[in-house]
Amino acid sequence: MSGALQDLSGLDRVIHEPARLMLVALLSSVESADFLFLLKESGLTKGNLSVHLSRLEEAGYLRVDKTFHGKIPHTEYSLTAKGKTAFTEYRKKLDPIIRRNPRAAKI
Amino acid sequence: MNVQIDTALKRARGYWFVDGFTEMAAGGLFVILAEILLFSESVTQAPFLSWFLSVTSEIVVAKLIGILAAILILWWLKDHFTYPRTGFVRGKRVTATQVLAVIRNAILFLFLPILALLAASLLIASARNVLASMPAWFPFGLGLIWGGAYLLAGEWIGLRRFRLLAVMMMLAGIAIGVWQFMMGLPTFSSDTQLGNFQPIGLETINRTLLSLGFLILISGVILMISGLVTFLRYRKENPTPYAEES
Repeated sequence: MSGALQDLSGLDRVIHEPARLMLVALLSSVESADFLFLLKESGLTKGNLSVHLSRLEEAGYLRVDKTFHGKIPHTEYSLTAKGKTAFTEYRKKLDPIIRRNPRAAKI
Repeated sequence: MNVQIDTALKRARGYWFVDGFTEMAAGGLFVILAEILLFSESVTQAPFLSWFLSVTSEIVVAKLIGILAAILILWWLKDHFTYPRTGFVRGKRVTATQVLAVIRNAILFLFLPILALLAASLLIASARNVLASMPAWFPFGLGLIWGGAYLLAGEWIGLRRFRLLAVMMMLAGIAIGVWQFMMGLPTFSSDTQLGNFQPIGLETINRTLLSLGFLILISGVILMISGLVTFLRYRKENPTPYAEES
């Protein structure tokens, strides 16, 4: 197995999936965001988004806070400390791979 | 899916500016501050301190009320217009340490050089000339600083229109500086003492405030126009609040 492939195999599989990577990246630069923001920014369908959010929550990377705005339910998503650390580690592992192979920069 | 992490990060950071409301509010605040500077009484020889305190207190009150009003208006507008269309985002919490660091850097960056120059001007003849030319270089330098700040902010949040704003603010600063230079600059007499503002020194202060007032006014108008264009585009792209598909 080449060095690049070994590096890739060490990446966090939960975050490495493109849709989840997008969601984690979006949430990493804010305190929290609601479902509609993530839906609009990610371009995913509602069903797909729900599945990926659930997967992140199961992994302990995502915190879900359900509140009410008047009578309207409002759900906010934020990264947990574990999720933030996982994303930082993922980027640290990914950077050298991208540097060695610039064509991989567009992931 | 072609995920670009940095793009996603910047998009989330720049969400606060997605609807143009923030620029319109900031621009409006700038225009009010410029009005205070441009329409306040000119500095006079005798009651310099009372004049200084009067203008400073007006600006501080206008800033505090303006910022508070802008926050409340922005909060209401976003709650009723933006969040139902493109979702809600809670920005990163700003810590007290970060706020203090920003204030410290602003003082170091803006005020200390000016204070040092004022002090030096009382002792060194060439510094007096530099101080006398303040109506020209002050807006020039401030325009460059603001432009630089907008460029950096634009890169940080991935908004291309901030590059245009940066260029316009730099050009405004340069234009005002050139205009003041073309008018002819006042010169300090050699016997200027601390606390004893000669008419020529007062002219320097008045003209610098005039330059500053115009720069703030132009910047405010630029921000309001940019905000309005952004708002119209946002409204066109998101005409109605998001509704559940039936």
